[in-house]
Amino acid sequence: MTFPHINRRTHLYLGLFLIPWVLMYGVSSIPFAHNQYFEARDKAKNLPLWTKTFEGPYDLGEIPGDRPLRFLGAKVVKDFHMEDSSYGAFRQSPNQVNIYVHTFWKSTQFKYFIQEKRIVAEDRRFRWEHFLTGMHARGGFEDGRFFPILWAVIVDVVCLGFLAWILSGLYMWWSLPALRFWGWVALVAGFASFALFLWRL
Amino acid sequence: MLSLLLRRVHMYAGLFLAPWILMYAASTFAMNHRPHDRKPPTFERERTETFPGEFAPEATPQQVALQLLAFLDLDGAHNVPRPAADGKLTIQRLDPLHPRRITYQPDTKALIVEKQVFETSAFLERMHRRRGYQHDYWLEDLWAISVDVTIAGIVVWALSGLWLWWELKVTRRIGLLSLAGGVALFALFLKVL
Repeated sequence: MTFPHINRRTHLYLGLFLIPWVLMYGVSSIPFAHNQYFEARDKAKNLPLWTKTFEGPYDLGEIPGDRPLRFLGAKVVKDFHMEDSSYGAFRQSPNQVNIYVHTFWKSTQFKYFIQEKRIVAEDRRFRWEHFLTGMHARGGFEDGRFFPILWAVIVDVVCLGFLAWILSGLYMWWSLPALRFWGWVALVAGFASFALFLWRL
Repeated sequence: MLSLLLRRVHMYAGLFLAPWILMYAASTFAMNHRPHDRKPPTFERERTETFPGEFAPEATPQQVALQLLAFLDLDGAHNVPRPAADGKLTIQRLDPLHPRRITYQPDTKALIVEKQVFETSAFLERMHRRRGYQHDYWLEDLWAISVDVTIAGIVVWALSGLWLWWELKVTRRIGLLSLAGGVALFALFLKVL
């Protein structure tokens, strides 16, 4: 077993294992990059994005102004029996806190009105582009549950995978002297274009 | 012939797009480890000017912003949020390395230009999120095209990689195990997340 052999096999098997993530990141980048097109297409359907599912009195207690509001999401998902979902909480305005509760397949937003002590729950209509962009944007180690952390670990592995494919790919290219000239052209053109963007964009 | 073509496309696309992939990998890693209580960006004052010109009576904030940016010699991609109640206009001039915040106070015609202090993870995140054809600048469109090409590259690498793997008969068994392992784990995530 030689180094070039190990290098080729690592490049290949890592790629095969991570192919669902690579495809997901590639395909889900399309609605991000062409957001205006997808929004216009959905708007033409004339369907409401959010549907109210609950409205009533609710007390989240005192809302601090000086620290993250994530703990409010923990109370809401518990009270509304959505413990298997991820969540985030943000102050929308001085009188309103929004809590977003989501899985890959379903999103619910809770609007909590501080002065009135009232909460409104709304479900978001399923859209494939939201499903894809939701997966794309998923990451981080805030959620202490096992599977969200494992997902975040895999996100790191995908990042390291891209680095490994570049390095192992460079090695494989360099091992083929007949391809060096055009390889240099591609590599230099890529780095020069990117540097130009950094400089002038 | 097809095999050779796929091999070359796979490799040359990788060499050309390597900087984009490095940037997306580094920025994704940074975002995945972003503290949830991160501080807002810091700006430092770069210069103060008084705008000498006039605006058309019905000028929109967007038109005012264009005129101000031209005066400051800072024309380029920018965002203009709605002016404040007192008429103060804040222009966010996008820039990969040093975004600027330009504040215009109409009653005094004072212009304050502030430069965002460089911070690596914020820079990577800006690059990661920069996309789309919404700005009226050709270089922005060119960048958006490069993002589309990178997307196409990612899909092509995955599909051509599958093809090239299948041609290498000795790698089929372990390859199938790797592929099945990845697909199974991904399917599990789809069910539980």
